[in-house]
Amino acid sequence: MSPQQRIWSALAEINDPEMPINLVDLGVVYGVELEDRTVRVRLTFTAMGCPASDMIIGDIRERLLAEPGVDEVAIDVVWDPPWSSSRMTEEGREALRAWGLSV
Amino acid sequence: MEPSNSAAFDGLIKRGELIESVSEMTPDYLRELKHTLIVSGDTELISAPAYYLAARKAPSVNAFMTGIAIIQDELAHAHIAYHILEELGESQEALIFKRDPKAFRYPYAFDVPLESWTELVVANAMYDQAGFCLLGDIHEQCSYGPWKRGLVKVMAEENFHLRNGRNWSKRISQAGGAAKEELQRAVDWMFPLTVEWFGLPDNLKQHSAQLDYRLKGLTNDQLRQQWLATVVPFMESIGIQVPAHQENSHYVLDYPFPCTFDPEAKRWDVKDPCTWDDVLKRWRARGPRNAEMVALFQESFSKFQVQG
Repeated sequence: MSPQQRIWSALAEINDPEMPINLVDLGVVYGVELEDRTVRVRLTFTAMGCPASDMIIGDIRERLLAEPGVDEVAIDVVWDPPWSSSRMTEEGREALRAWGLSV
Repeated sequence: MEPSNSAAFDGLIKRGELIESVSEMTPDYLRELKHTLIVSGDTELISAPAYYLAARKAPSVNAFMTGIAIIQDELAHAHIAYHILEELGESQEALIFKRDPKAFRYPYAFDVPLESWTELVVANAMYDQAGFCLLGDIHEQCSYGPWKRGLVKVMAEENFHLRNGRNWSKRISQAGGAAKEELQRAVDWMFPLTVEWFGLPDNLKQHSAQLDYRLKGLTNDQLRQQWLATVVPFMESIGIQVPAHQENSHYVLDYPFPCTFDPEAKRWDVKDPCTWDDVLKRWRARGPRNAEMVALFQESFSKFQVQG
């Protein structure tokens, strides 16, 4: 696995605090860059008033800092393009359907 | 099945079958189910004004949004219980808007004002944990199908409240100094209030129709132990002291249970043990914030009603 792939699979271990779906399947991670020992994550939320935003940012920071070779995590919260349910993966959709949310 | 055929009904419950409608219930089962739902609905409902009055002290816009989202969840959970009660023949309007404040059946803890962000997050860590234990048990065991199924999402959302409580408690403890002292003070008065939340100890409770009818599966003491087993290790892990410790596989309280509580001073007098009759008397009289909180959602109800 390339260092970049390792970061993506680490992000896929982090669940949304409110729903049984991980951040990658939810489609809120727009990009990952690795420069020296700093990971830069472009992140959006499903709503601007997302009540879990602090928790999600904290979870990402904690998980990525546990990756070998990572000393710093910079998270850019972006709103363009806006998130929509079409950004979810098929796996994510299945998980939410099983939970009782029609997507 | 004839509702009057109670032996057959009891057999059905014992076999673990689910009840789906009023026509299947005995009058006694219906009464117990309604009582259990009212306690659950009232508890969720009253947590909204209780949390709201404290969420106003949020330390950031983000924290305030989280607080408000939790309140929204609690109102939705209350709605689930009252909606089922309506299907069982009760009036939601009468239950929520026409009842005397003292007739609400939520735990006494909510009558003691939460007055800071610190107290709110301790409530998320301890009161919502109590709700999680109680509702989790109903979700797993309840013989009434519509309620059991309605709780799937409630459990996920309560988990979010717990996380907010734990994340913030940890953060406040790490801040140290006066912030940590305030956290410890909040835990000092709120911990015993949550311990008594689970009700009379099993040795004083002769008989539980809720257990007979499998409306819940665990006894008061079993639920209390479950709560202690999560809250005690967590608080210790963040450097906060709690008056309980583990002995073999169960938890033991380090203070007389029950003892006297002064709700105005938010202080327990551990040198003044009392009886459960005293506790029941305190509960029935309700606490300082009962009327104010009920008024928060009742006062505007009649304002826009068509006058007949």
